[in-house]
Amino acid sequence: MAAKVSKLEEQFKRDAPREKQKDGSYSDIFSGVSIYVNGYTEPSADELRRLMMLHGGHFHVYYSRSKTTHIIANNLPNCKIQELKGEKIIRPQWITDSVKAGHLLPHLQYQLYTKHKGPIFPGASLRQTSDTAGPSHGPLQPSVHQRLNLPQHSAQHSPLNRKESTSSCQNNSIPNSNHSPLHQGNDQPQSVQQSSAVGFINPRPSPTWSALLNADPRHRSLHSDPSPTKPHQPALQTPPADLQHQRASQPQPQSNSFCNAARSGPKEVDFKINGSLQTSLELISHSEVNGMQKCGRGDPFPPVVKEAHLTNGHTHLVNGALKPEVWPPVTDGPSVEKERSPDDKPQSPPVQFQTKPDPYEFPHSPPKQSDPSSVFPKPPNAHVASEQRPKPSPPTYHEAAGTESQHLPTPPRQPRPAGSDPDQTPLSPAPRALSHSPIRLNGSHRNAFSPEPASFDATDETAEPDAPAETVPSASKSSKSSAHLLAQTGSLISEYYSHSRLHQISTWRSCFSEYVNELHGKRKAVGVGSFPGKDRLRKSVAPHSADSRGTSAPVSVKSCVLHVDMDCFFVSVGIRYRPELKGKPVAVTSNRGHERVPLRPGARPQLELQYYQRKRTHPDEELRSPDCHAEQDAATLSMAEIASCSYEARKAGVKNGMFFGKAKQLCPSLQSVPYDFEAYKEVAITMYETLAGYTHDIEALSCDEVLIDGSALLAELSVKPEDLANAIRAEIKEKTGCCASVGMGSNILLARLATRKAKPDGQYLLKSEEVDDFIRDLPVTSLPGVGPVMGRKLAAMGVRSCGDLQQVSLSQLQKKFGPRTGQTLFRFCRGLDDRPVRYEKERKSVSAEMNYNIRFTEVDEAESFLTNLSMEVQKRLQEAGLRGRRVTLKVMVRKVGAPLESAKYGGHGICDNLAKTVMLAQSTDSGQLIAAAVIRLFHAMKLQVEDVRGVGIQVQLLVGHPSVPQNSAGPGTRSVKEMLLGRGASARSSEGGPSSVPPARPLSSPEPVPGTSRDLQPCGQTPKHSRARLNFSIEVPSPSQVDRSVLEALPAELREQVERSWTDRDGRTSNHQLPGARPSAPLPHPPTLKSRPTSPLSPPAPGGALHAAPAGTLFLQIPNQPDSLGIVLELPNFSQVDPDVFAALPKELQAELKSAYNRVQPQGKILEQTNPLLQLKQPGLGVGISRAKRRYKRKNAVSPVKKGPSPVKTRHTNNSPGKALQPPMKSREPMNTLQADHGPCTSTSKPEVPEALSKFIPRPAPVLAGAYDLTDIKTLLREWVTTITEPMEEDILQVVKYCTDLIEDKDLEKLDLIIKYMKRLMQKAVESVWSMAFDFILDNVQVVVQQAYGSTLKVA
Amino acid sequence: MTTLTRQDLNFGQVVADILCEFLEVAIHLILYVREVYPSGIFQKRKKYNVPVQMSCHPELNQYIQDTLHCVKPLIEKNDAEKVAVVIMDKEHHPVERFVFEISQPPLLSISSDTLLSHVEQLLRAFILKISVCDAVLNNNPPDSTLRQQWSFSKCIHPIGQAWCSFTVLVHTRDAATRNMEKVQVIKDFPWIVADEQEVHMQEPRLIPLKTMTSDIVKMQLYVEERAQKT
Repeated sequence: MAAKVSKLEEQFKRDAPREKQKDGSYSDIFSGVSIYVNGYTEPSADELRRLMMLHGGHFHVYYSRSKTTHIIANNLPNCKIQELKGEKIIRPQWITDSVKAGHLLPHLQYQLYTKHKGPIFPGASLRQTSDTAGPSHGPLQPSVHQRLNLPQHSAQHSPLNRKESTSSCQNNSIPNSNHSPLHQGNDQPQSVQQSSAVGFINPRPSPTWSALLNADPRHRSLHSDPSPTKPHQPALQTPPADLQHQRASQPQPQSNSFCNAARSGPKEVDFKINGSLQTSLELISHSEVNGMQKCGRGDPFPPVVKEAHLTNGHTHLVNGALKPEVWPPVTDGPSVEKERSPDDKPQSPPVQFQTKPDPYEFPHSPPKQSDPSSVFPKPPNAHVASEQRPKPSPPTYHEAAGTESQHLPTPPRQPRPAGSDPDQTPLSPAPRALSHSPIRLNGSHRNAFSPEPASFDATDETAEPDAPAETVPSASKSSKSSAHLLAQTGSLISEYYSHSRLHQISTWRSCFSEYVNELHGKRKAVGVGSFPGKDRLRKSVAPHSADSRGTSAPVSVKSCVLHVDMDCFFVSVGIRYRPELKGKPVAVTSNRGHERVPLRPGARPQLELQYYQRKRTHPDEELRSPDCHAEQDAATLSMAEIASCSYEARKAGVKNGMFFGKAKQLCPSLQSVPYDFEAYKEVAITMYETLAGYTHDIEALSCDEVLIDGSALLAELSVKPEDLANAIRAEIKEKTGCCASVGMGSNILLARLATRKAKPDGQYLLKSEEVDDFIRDLPVTSLPGVGPVMGRKLAAMGVRSCGDLQQVSLSQLQKKFGPRTGQTLFRFCRGLDDRPVRYEKERKSVSAEMNYNIRFTEVDEAESFLTNLSMEVQKRLQEAGLRGRRVTLKVMVRKVGAPLESAKYGGHGICDNLAKTVMLAQSTDSGQLIAAAVIRLFHAMKLQVEDVRGVGIQVQLLVGHPSVPQNSAGPGTRSVKEMLLGRGASARSSEGGPSSVPPARPLSSPEPVPGTSRDLQPCGQTPKHSRARLNFSIEVPSPSQVDRSVLEALPAELREQVERSWTDRDGRTSNHQLPGARPSAPLPHPPTLKSRPTSPLSPPAPGGALHAAPAGTLFLQIPNQPDSLGIVLELPNFSQVDPDVFAALPKELQAELKSAYNRVQPQGKILEQTNPLLQLKQPGLGVGISRAKRRYKRKNAVSPVKKGPSPVKTRHTNNSPGKALQPPMKSREPMNTLQADHGPCTSTSKPEVPEALSKFIPRPAPVLAGAYDLTDIKTLLREWVTTITEPMEEDILQVVKYCTDLIEDKDLEKLDLIIKYMKRLMQKAVESVWSMAFDFILDNVQVVVQQAYGSTLKVA
Repeated sequence: MTTLTRQDLNFGQVVADILCEFLEVAIHLILYVREVYPSGIFQKRKKYNVPVQMSCHPELNQYIQDTLHCVKPLIEKNDAEKVAVVIMDKEHHPVERFVFEISQPPLLSISSDTLLSHVEQLLRAFILKISVCDAVLNNNPPDSTLRQQWSFSKCIHPIGQAWCSFTVLVHTRDAATRNMEKVQVIKDFPWIVADEQEVHMQEPRLIPLKTMTSDIVKMQLYVEERAQKT
């Protein structure tokens, strides 16, 4: 070996000179470098060898630990990585790039596996996370500190969380674990779980106890226990509301009286509404103030709030009026009807009123407490409330309202969105009272968000004023998609997005980018564009061009970037027509000028302020509560945030993002100006149009900030950049009445820096010779990308100015900040920036995020919210014509110890930021898939839903959509104005009009249809079982494996089938053996499904030697449908349905099937959009928590032969992301592929089908609730076992099915590991049911193993 | 980069070669680990970059080789479903059965990894599993009169090796045996159908050891062990 190595070495040496000669260009850059190429590389090892020869390096054919300096690889298997730990494993690009660069580049950034993942410019992440700027309600505004500090907060305060948020590692147990201590004192989970009803009757005096109720999903699910006896009990909806009261009433006497009050008659009954479902945004925003207080949104108030609690008991939610908006006349879908029927019980109101107080009165009627559909808990009540009691303000309430109004600012206006108004009025004789009506926002998710992080510029971050949005058209709202989204919580999201001006402003940037793109497109098409501004400039230059030409040409910089930025945009626009304010300190804010606002109970602003402050100074300190109330005073200051302030105000120390209250203290003469979004838009449009008159090389940075690449223009006109800037500024000033500053430099960085110097209302050309001096004195924080966090880090290194930074070596920077960030810093502090001005911006991610007013109380809410947010993402993806592969879920969770109520109303308060990422199997723009993935992530995070304060979904790794973007027809012809205004108009028209009613079937029904039907008919459980039993096909073992005698014993019919399948299979196998028979193409044609003359299949005889396996899922592959998602609608062809079987089905199921068929027929293509099956609950065992629970009864357990899941489960599996993402699997004829489900009607032709398919088609790897990976599955199982006290049969069956699949898939190893894991998990679980569940699973698995292998698993 | 598929004549051969090579190593190792033969006859070698034990008893080696030689055509045609190494007690009842269950992967190709280094890694994992499998298995009867025999699935095994205390069974798919009789690879090394007695195990316990899915082959190894070994 050694000889060989040395021989190769010699050979290399010998070849090197020859190679050098041949190539001509050689160097010694790699001297001392010896590489070893491992595996396949690009360029190939040979090429690398040649390069090494050429450039003085060495190439080792064999790896030598001592001699080889670098290992070159494109990717390495894990074991190699382990093996080569500590070695330098470099990507081959290092070599090629070094060769290109002509010197040895540092290999650091070429490392194949680096410890620091990804270059994170904290600034960037800052921006990403600082998208709060909520639509403010009233004078309460988020603070800029809050926003700015968020990242630090996660980054510095809890390293663990930072890790999670950056590297998306496995979930965070922090919130969980930290929560319990908080409540431990009063933690009585057992009693709560066992007798939630009792809990209501005997309110404990502990303030936190009831919080616990909400804090734990388990408790929730208890509420959703379907009660077999009273399935239709409308009052079932109330427990959550009761909970609220419970929570509210801390001291026992109080709560008693409150109970009495609640009992005293229908009038006293409280109603809560799931505002997120029904109310429109505006309404919410007005009622929130009260709703907040009354309902507490799952947060127990600190003792401060007793008064408010009292009122709780006497408030009514009058909100049914809004119902029509959300529950529009439904056109089809018996399932919808079903879904609604338990909730909508206006017909039997008396019952409701009778039953409602019951929980208080009769402790021993727990069934009434049970809630069949925890998802729709509140609306019905509200509905009833409005219908029943047109008198919404009983005296008690008025009292309460009175006390409250003392410290609540009465909302200045009560306008409601057009759509809801008419409905509202008849029901609200006392509008004032109505205004106080505590509409409970069940997880009211009004929010702030940012469509894509980068687009959010500091100047854009404004708070939404509380004025209703009539005046503002919504951007990016197509009525069609909004109609879809309106359902459920989705309505809230889309409402938000259609109303939030903040959103619009942030979308403007993309609008403008698009506009610039169009300009380019047009120019390309036409050849020449018209540039009025340019022409004018040319003319003005022309007179003295004769003499200036000679001089100006050399002056003009080689490349010149102009950065045009409006001066305090919002302010200058705001005071355009208010000359009296010019020259005065002015701030744009939603505050009406009040300096102080009442302190909301529960909120502890001083704590938050201190926290943010302390964070700023001592970033590593932990959260601790302030020791005194000294700052109580300051806390009552208005927290309305200043979006923009004039230079006069800035001089007084006011800064953008400051709280108005504080600013007012600093600068008593500060005037506030309201937002004027129309004007902003108008000015922005004018500015863009003006600039477009000069050139089209424009990069839109935001609505008031633009980069222009002036190089070509200047060269063409032979003018100085200053002249151009002058012309631009003059024109903007003339057209808009606002001042713009222009910074010029040879690159983007310098131009931006120059703008700083240019401001206000000036221009500055940073000449290349001045750059060094200029930049040396700049503080590092003025560099883009250097935020407070990095600033502090740098300060710790003793670096304050760019000059200091220049002293730091590149390697040091890279070591500290990561390769890319380090290099960027290194370059920036020298004024180097090679980013081009790009008029075309490639989107890196598409996201939707909300972190305002998110208060979930139940897992279901969170899920449906996620689903809807996913739909929003889908919409955006589709609008952008993109598909993404990586999905990140970002969650803000209340920081442990932080006050339950945030200082800013509806704000997120002090939070930990968590993020989790999952890679989808393929790029998608389907909201369903994203939702599935995200919900899984959400569960994996194991959060207390109550503590979630913000949710964001981001999709990355985008690829272009093959199909054209929706609006692609438009932009070519539309001007920017049309784009902005037009959209608004369309959105506006869609808002009020009936056309925008949500689709009949809410896309995101969080309630599984079957679940509902089950709830409707609890006694239908048994039929279900039998159906489930029917739902198996027999997978026939090979003849040799079958005991003949058993076969003889089978009924003739069955035997015949078995035999037939043998013959079938023989045929197939012989085919299979032909050399060419196996298609080499990965996508075989779908085999034709035989529709056999069918006889309903009876369940396999117990104990038979037949290997009964669940039918599994059918996937047909279709070659020519790249777009199609692997979701199969599992309906058999209608003609295949045995009418008898169909008739025997329960009514609901029939109706459901019918409607499914109806839907399928016309629109097979958009199955995944409308497929009712897809509206089933998202998969996942964790999800099972909230599902209506069925008790797991051992004796009820299916016979061993029944090894498959219930149909419900099968469908779940089909919907699971894992399967859905199976590459291009899809049925061309959805109808034909549906055998697996709906057992009763289709069982007939099944035995052959799955098998036939499995032979030809790569069988999809078995997945459990979408999880494939062993670790994922373990996580899932752990979650299942640890979060649920009692396993549900469905879930158990699904696990069994999964295990069976594994056996079938011949992956015994995994099976073994999983079984062992479950054994450990379940047998040590406290509840003995888990042990039983395990036994059950094991029994079933053993039977299957026995049949497949003739032996049973050894489970030690 | 060439893509070989099932149609290519040598694809099956490649797979069979790899598997037989692996099986040889595995069988030696099993015999060593399960102490079918005295450890004295084994020698330490290196295969798949891990140490393995290989017998240096020429006859035994020859026997194993011959057997695998006969197995190879079956694997080539994807006829062998399972190859089982059965360890028998003195009553000629199986005590332990190491079953290599071989099937085709969902997509056959060796395009992605021409050097098959990935496969090698997977096979290494098998080897490692085997070498530690005694941890999960009960001890075999101390009786040193374990019998060995090679035989092929439904019931064929080579005759003439009465001295050994292990057996190799090959479970063939469908009618592969018929063809096998026609193609007699090695003279005087015929396959016979295994006795029921040799195949049947009382109260077998199944212990999965390893599963692999590669581009060229899908294989899992499990051990079936008699509940009562003594």
